[in-house]
Amino acid sequence: MDREPPQRSSRRTVLKAGLAVGAAQLAGPFIISARGEEPVKIGLDNPLTGTYAAVGKNELIGCQYAVEQINAKGGILGRHVELLVEDSTSGDSSTAVQKARKLIDRDKVNFLVGNVNSALAVAMAGVAYEKGVFMMDPGGHTDAITGTGCHWNVFRICNTTQTEANAVAATLVKDYGKKFYYITPDYAFGHTLEAGMIKAVAALGGSRAGGALTPLGTTDFSSYLIAAEAAKPDVIIFLVQGDDQVNALKQAVQFGLEKRVHLAGAQGELEPLEGLPPEARIGTWVFEWYWNQPGVPHVAEFVAAIKKKTGRVPTARTWFGFAGTWSCALAANGAKSLEAVKMAKFLQGYHLPPEVALMPDGAFFRAGQNQLIPDLFVGHAQASGSAPDDLFKVTQVVKGVDVAGTLEETGCKMTWPA
Amino acid sequence: MKRLPVNRLSSRTSSAIIWIVLLTLPLWMRAVGSYTELGTQVVVLALAAMALNFLLGFTGTLSFGHAAYFGLGAYGAAMTIKYLVPSTPLAILVGMAAGTIAAMIIGALIVKLRGVYFAMVTIAFGQVFYFITFRWNTVTGGDDGLSGWHRIPLNLGFTTIDIEHDGKAFYYFVLLCFALSVGVMAFLLRSPFGRTLLAIRENERRARFLGIPIERHLWLSFVISCLFASVAGALYALLNNFTDPRALYWGQSGNFVIMAVLGGMRSFWGPLIGAAIFVVLQDYVSSHTENWMSFVGLFFVLVVLFFPRGVLGIIRRRTMR
Repeated sequence: MDREPPQRSSRRTVLKAGLAVGAAQLAGPFIISARGEEPVKIGLDNPLTGTYAAVGKNELIGCQYAVEQINAKGGILGRHVELLVEDSTSGDSSTAVQKARKLIDRDKVNFLVGNVNSALAVAMAGVAYEKGVFMMDPGGHTDAITGTGCHWNVFRICNTTQTEANAVAATLVKDYGKKFYYITPDYAFGHTLEAGMIKAVAALGGSRAGGALTPLGTTDFSSYLIAAEAAKPDVIIFLVQGDDQVNALKQAVQFGLEKRVHLAGAQGELEPLEGLPPEARIGTWVFEWYWNQPGVPHVAEFVAAIKKKTGRVPTARTWFGFAGTWSCALAANGAKSLEAVKMAKFLQGYHLPPEVALMPDGAFFRAGQNQLIPDLFVGHAQASGSAPDDLFKVTQVVKGVDVAGTLEETGCKMTWPA
Repeated sequence: MKRLPVNRLSSRTSSAIIWIVLLTLPLWMRAVGSYTELGTQVVVLALAAMALNFLLGFTGTLSFGHAAYFGLGAYGAAMTIKYLVPSTPLAILVGMAAGTIAAMIIGALIVKLRGVYFAMVTIAFGQVFYFITFRWNTVTGGDDGLSGWHRIPLNLGFTTIDIEHDGKAFYYFVLLCFALSVGVMAFLLRSPFGRTLLAIRENERRARFLGIPIERHLWLSFVISCLFASVAGALYALLNNFTDPRALYWGQSGNFVIMAVLGGMRSFWGPLIGAAIFVVLQDYVSSHTENWMSFVGLFFVLVVLFFPRGVLGIIRRRTMR
């Protein structure tokens, strides 16, 4: 039944072995032999697939453009800058963590950048803190990153959800009334956002008329919208994001709700507005950066450059990536070192130069929290504007210092390495 | 009859090769352009896949809900360190207990089911645990996951092993847990109990006629399988210093099944090979293209179509010819 096991290696085995050895040469890593000067490496660990692929790619474009500029202006400490990109996926924190480790341990990056998804950003911050690597979070909003879970080496460009809520609440209470109804996605992020909004509104004398928790991925919002109208609020706040936001707003417009109640939300972005039909581009929102800022120096050049690169205007995400990457370079050049502690110390209270800040009042990293305090742009979505991409009308530029709360309120207690 | 000694010899050599590779891994991992944590991840996920294979390959029952027990292990470990006692071994024990107790209860409810019904009910119960962790924000951190804790260095009384900062030390700690776990599994499979499981896999009706209490054996096999899955989960949480509801998601269960099938579910070491291929392929391809999931999927389809006994099955067939 059984044949004898092969006793000697045949010609074929030798050929196969040769082939395997050959393939191993190809598949092997690119071991860089000493080249005089190693490039400075920035590791981007951000979503390129899944729900956040679109916003993740916009951040990537911002990072790439910043790296081009940095290299054109002499690099970091005179060395060439290289951007390494890894796909973190949109929701799988273990992949994000694995990629962060890979960038730090194998590729020896000097800076870790990411992540759009707050949960992934928190997980990455854990790795960066463990390894003592300088990390920049361009667009993960959860308060904890520069709040109760802050670390000396983790910096952030985008605002906290509380800051955004504070920025939009003032306008809403002043212009539209004090009774608010909330349509909130039913998971941790939504709950935090609603709590922040309630706190901000209460501080201004407003109250909560009611609220509905909607499961993630809801397509039919009609029952929630009817309940919302029945509660007779002055304002309905939509805290749902992404596709849910698109569905909710479309249906609100079909109901003609916007004619009877004011509709608003906290964080607004250009990407979902582009996905909405013109008649559903309604409501008051806060943008963290907007491309149409007439008269603000350097903004037009930035917009033109990104348009040339991609054919589209930059969004807040593009700016997050751009400002985040530039901040890394500025920190290293300012500290004259690539040591994380020295760079982090240098950025305490550091004001970004106007060609990076790209906003009327500039932006700075608040000392003791590592949070960028920029301007915020409150306004309303519009069906059409001065240009096809002009879907948002800024009515008020809010200074970050006025709405970011105090350092004590953020709950950040930073301990520096000895 | 002649096959047996050859077979045993080859399985002994393959075990020896595998242990040598695992023991020396951190020494050459970096030289081939990789990193220690990737090796740790392979070992942890291999343990989960081998635990699943105890049920799938050796009892012939497919569970699609093992991520639930993996995740319970992870949350058990994470919450122990975060809320109770900062001790790594205790965290693993609590995680193990959490997963095992859940498996004992769920297992008792489902052992009468067979085939696809068993698989579907395991998914359903798995999703129950997933939604609990996803929604119970105040305790589990909800979708944001459980962070703000880290593994604690091992205090042996006379010395302290810093598994917190030393990646290699943690690798060997994980490898020790892995060795103990697979040792117990191998021992069980060689015992009369293990042989009975094989008999059930081959012909359940016949085994029943022989007077074997099928349900009790299935239940035990399910519980043992989930016990080691929860050990893997606890180690996974310690590796990442983080855990989130995705660890319990049914997609994760699917990954374990893929690893087991990829490597070869009829062989003891198959899932280890499967996990290594899965993790390394994912790690390598995803750095080069954003469509990396298609490649992992394609590879899996090819293996299932052309090598239904998995990668180790091909090698075995070669050596046995």
